Amino acid sequence: MSNRIVETRTVRTFGPPRRDRVQLTNMALLALLLVAAIALPYLGASGFMVSLASTILIAATLASSVNFLAGNGGMVSLGHAGIAAASAYGAGWASQQGMDPGMQVLVALGMTLLASFLYGLLSMRTSGIYFLMVTLAVGMLIYGLAFRLSSVTGGENGISGIERFEWLDSYWTYYYFVLGVFVLATAALWIVSNSPFGASLRGIRDSESRMRSLGYSVRSYKLGAFMISGSVAGLAGLLAVWHTHFVSPSSAGVDRSVHLIVMVILGGVGTLLGPLIGAAVVVMVENLLSSYVDRWPTLLGLIFILVILFARAGIAGSAGKLFRRLRARSKAASSPEGDAPGGAAAPPGDRHAVHQGKDPQ
Amino acid sequence: MEGLITVPEPVFLAQQVLNGLSFGALLFLLASGLTLVFGLMRIVNMAHGAFYMLGGYIGVVIATLTGNLLIAVIAAIVAVGVTAFLVEVVLLRFVRGQEMPEVLLTIGVSFVIADLCLAFFGGDPQNLPNSVRIPGALAVGDLVYPWYRIFVIGLAVAIGVALALVQSRTRVGAIVRAGVDDREIISAMGVNIRWVFTGMFVVGAALAAIGGTIGAGMQSILPGVQNEVLLYALVVIIIGGLGSVPGAAVGSVLIGLIDAFAKAWIPELAYFTIFLPMALVLVFRPTGLFGKAA
Repeated sequence: MSNRIVETRTVRTFGPPRRDRVQLTNMALLALLLVAAIALPYLGASGFMVSLASTILIAATLASSVNFLAGNGGMVSLGHAGIAAASAYGAGWASQQGMDPGMQVLVALGMTLLASFLYGLLSMRTSGIYFLMVTLAVGMLIYGLAFRLSSVTGGENGISGIERFEWLDSYWTYYYFVLGVFVLATAALWIVSNSPFGASLRGIRDSESRMRSLGYSVRSYKLGAFMISGSVAGLAGLLAVWHTHFVSPSSAGVDRSVHLIVMVILGGVGTLLGPLIGAAVVVMVENLLSSYVDRWPTLLGLIFILVILFARAGIAGSAGKLFRRLRARSKAASSPEGDAPGGAAAPPGDRHAVHQGKDPQ
Repeated sequence: MEGLITVPEPVFLAQQVLNGLSFGALLFLLASGLTLVFGLMRIVNMAHGAFYMLGGYIGVVIATLTGNLLIAVIAAIVAVGVTAFLVEVVLLRFVRGQEMPEVLLTIGVSFVIADLCLAFFGGDPQNLPNSVRIPGALAVGDLVYPWYRIFVIGLAVAIGVALALVQSRTRVGAIVRAGVDDREIISAMGVNIRWVFTGMFVVGAALAAIGGTIGAGMQSILPGVQNEVLLYALVVIIIGGLGSVPGAAVGSVLIGLIDAFAKAWIPELAYFTIFLPMALVLVFRPTGLFGKAA
């Protein structure tokens, strides 16, 4: 019984912030960021910087897929690097067989769907800690296969020399391509989060038993959510392997998955910009700070611990909170802050009920 | 497998069984600590592998210095115990009762410990020096098997029996069992459950430290080992049922044996074979073989 209480509390501490005005600010910020991102290669950024920006965007895409599950479903996955790696290995294998990039995409897609389905199938019965452990275990399984099945994966050396489409050859066209994919993926996840499907997921996050008694098939929702999230993760895997032309077992390792969680928590679970912010911080610590500080993983670990202890909402979430508090203070005298009632979180079943109520029959 | 060609089949089988049992014994040292902590505190301690790693490194260093395995084990227990005590009192108490932050916090701790181990002990694989390992080998007919691994099996059995006795026969064990069943009542009866938690966390970490030092005589301690052993321990306790010590024992032996035979027969799928039983257990009996229904 005590387990139940614990679960409910967890959900509350890690849920997304209320989405009303924040969303609007987010959109404005996002538009601003987008303009800056498009302008980046023209602002005299070196090839290295643009390439680093691509790395950040790819990591952010992957982190968004983790964020989608964690924010809406309350399912914290510790194995998403495995899905990305499955996709990357698919592309790598296809390239090794001499297939063109178009075929690489197809094989990568197949691997992504297969891996996501496996993850979803094994994890759909679980929630909370069990979910985390099952995804961790499946991720390690993929790592193990990448490592040991050397006849296909090249073992520890991985697969190198994977070529992308010719029209994506130069680093800046690829940067724009990555940017486009990231924006589309983020938009898609945002739309799904705000659809009835997303609302049902949040309902399952908040109370699985309630949703079950309302007639929702909790397991199929979880599986569906995993397939969506996994598809985005696979996309990120393909982008990563085209970016570096290389894939090795470490891309499926636990460390990668932990990095993703760090990004998501650091940025703010369930926020739109969180994954990008988190990815930017982590990738920059990893790639820039690491040349000055030997012990950067320690630093990253400490930052992570501090965020969990003191800023649970993450950077984007805390900024949003601060913004709302300032706003509330500026008009403190005028009116008490009122949240839109019901709104986004109402499951489609409720809408039905209202509709039937209005019906004269 | 040149062994397959030169040695008759029954000897090979016996050897693999012993390999499986000794690896299972090591897994039990790891998994029992993890499952005890989960049973009482409802925390899956993701830093457990890092505790194993830290214990292993310290054990190897002290064993090399003193040439005495017992001193090495004690040093490892003390060092890891103090680390675990600090982690529990300074960090985990702040997020008590919040499932996900607790787990994520231990992930962060694991990160830091593993990186600091790399800084202090370097990246080279480390093993217990031969001088502290029990020398010689058991020889029965064609079968030759190192005494050290048999000692590991004996040690795990002894620790398992000791844990069972402490849990069922002593006052401390009664407090822990009561804490597992109902925290509120036991704290209302005047037991400071917070310190019981801290104590259990330290005991769990100490078991990992013993595993690390003893295990360094069987497999190398090196960067990344923390994730590998954590994974095995997680699989074991998922199969056995979270919180169940008998479950951990059965799961350890099962996974140990499966792993040994898989490594001998189908090394390319070595990881795959330990996940198959886990997946089956998850599908058909999600609470594990010995787990209580939630």
